[in-house]
Amino acid sequence: MVQRRKLDHLPDRFPLACQWEVTCRCNLHCVMCYTDCFNEPERIRQELPTVDLLRIMDDIAEAGCLELCLTGGEPLARPDFFQFYERAINLGFLVTLFTNGTLITESIADRLAAHPPHRIEISMHGLTETTFEQVTLGRGSFHRCQQAIALLLERSLPLTLKSTAMTLNQHELLPIKRYVETIGSVRYKLGEEIRPALDGSGAPFQFALQPEALNELHRQDAQLWNEACHRRRPDTSPCRSGMRRFHIDAYGVLQLCSGNRAQGYDLLKGSFQEGFYDYLPSFGCRWKDAATTSLFPPSVTHA
Amino acid sequence: MPGSVIYTKNPDFVQRHVAGECILVPIRRNLVEANSIYVLNETGAALWSLLDGIRSVTSIEEKIGQEYDVTAEQLHRDAETLLTDLLSIRAIQEVSIHDGSAT
Repeated sequence: MVQRRKLDHLPDRFPLACQWEVTCRCNLHCVMCYTDCFNEPERIRQELPTVDLLRIMDDIAEAGCLELCLTGGEPLARPDFFQFYERAINLGFLVTLFTNGTLITESIADRLAAHPPHRIEISMHGLTETTFEQVTLGRGSFHRCQQAIALLLERSLPLTLKSTAMTLNQHELLPIKRYVETIGSVRYKLGEEIRPALDGSGAPFQFALQPEALNELHRQDAQLWNEACHRRRPDTSPCRSGMRRFHIDAYGVLQLCSGNRAQGYDLLKGSFQEGFYDYLPSFGCRWKDAATTSLFPPSVTHA
Repeated sequence: MPGSVIYTKNPDFVQRHVAGECILVPIRRNLVEANSIYVLNETGAALWSLLDGIRSVTSIEEKIGQEYDVTAEQLHRDAETLLTDLLSIRAIQEVSIHDGSAT
């Protein structure tokens, strides 16, 4: 009667997975970061207070949400991080934490181990101090990140390391991948998407790799090549954002996904149930089946 | 498994209701269990809800038998299977009995 499996009998529209950008504040200023433009005091003051964050979290748990990804900015930069993180664990969410790792001390690692997440993903943008800190613009960040990785591995926490491919680190991407492959339990992900900043600026694109450079990178690694070939196949299936997954920004606005913030529903003014079931279906997305959208043809990037 | 045994839930498992399914999520999971959630069927969920550290297995089976059209033998077999499964994932633990009271 007990089955160890993933859910597979969900309604077509069900709020199973949430990506929650709990803050735009961060101790680093990565050159390609799309949230760093809102990492300033005036914007930070507008972010969700703890009490509202916890209330919304209760609401999405009540609605049946199971997978919760806490991202930023840097989630650990919020002073109330463990208040909502531990609440999320105790509510039975499968929590994924996106972090730069540099704020993880021994005591924070212990606290994470006491309430272990489903997965922790740390951004590792270089294998050398010089490259890493050219990306993060934070002196000392390389060693703090390395230390965090060691602390989490010592505690057997489920870890993924990931990099964003850029002109600054392209020469170290394969060495990073090889390095991660030497650590038995750790997974590696290479991200190739660079997005415009939240204020609309295209500044992050100045570090984007040209398609030829990405192609050359893929050719040097069988796994990356396979994944790239797979992505090139035309995907005609409609986008599932807003169907099984949704995004909440640092100010409590419910959106289709992190890459499409063209329309939103303010969770400080209305209920999650209303936002998800009554409003999200009407939000536009160019990746969705045309029959499900009628408002406008948005020109947005997609997660 | 004697019917007089009493079980209590392990607080390290959280019960979730997701789209009509009853799910047990281990919140102190180790690396091996990190991708596991456990789904109970309807009668499994009914039994889980009655595991309170006070009722015996026999008393729980009687209660479920009043609500479902099932023979006592079938119910006992299914309950035993479920309880064995729940013990194996450490979602429940047996309550020690002293002087007739559960502790």
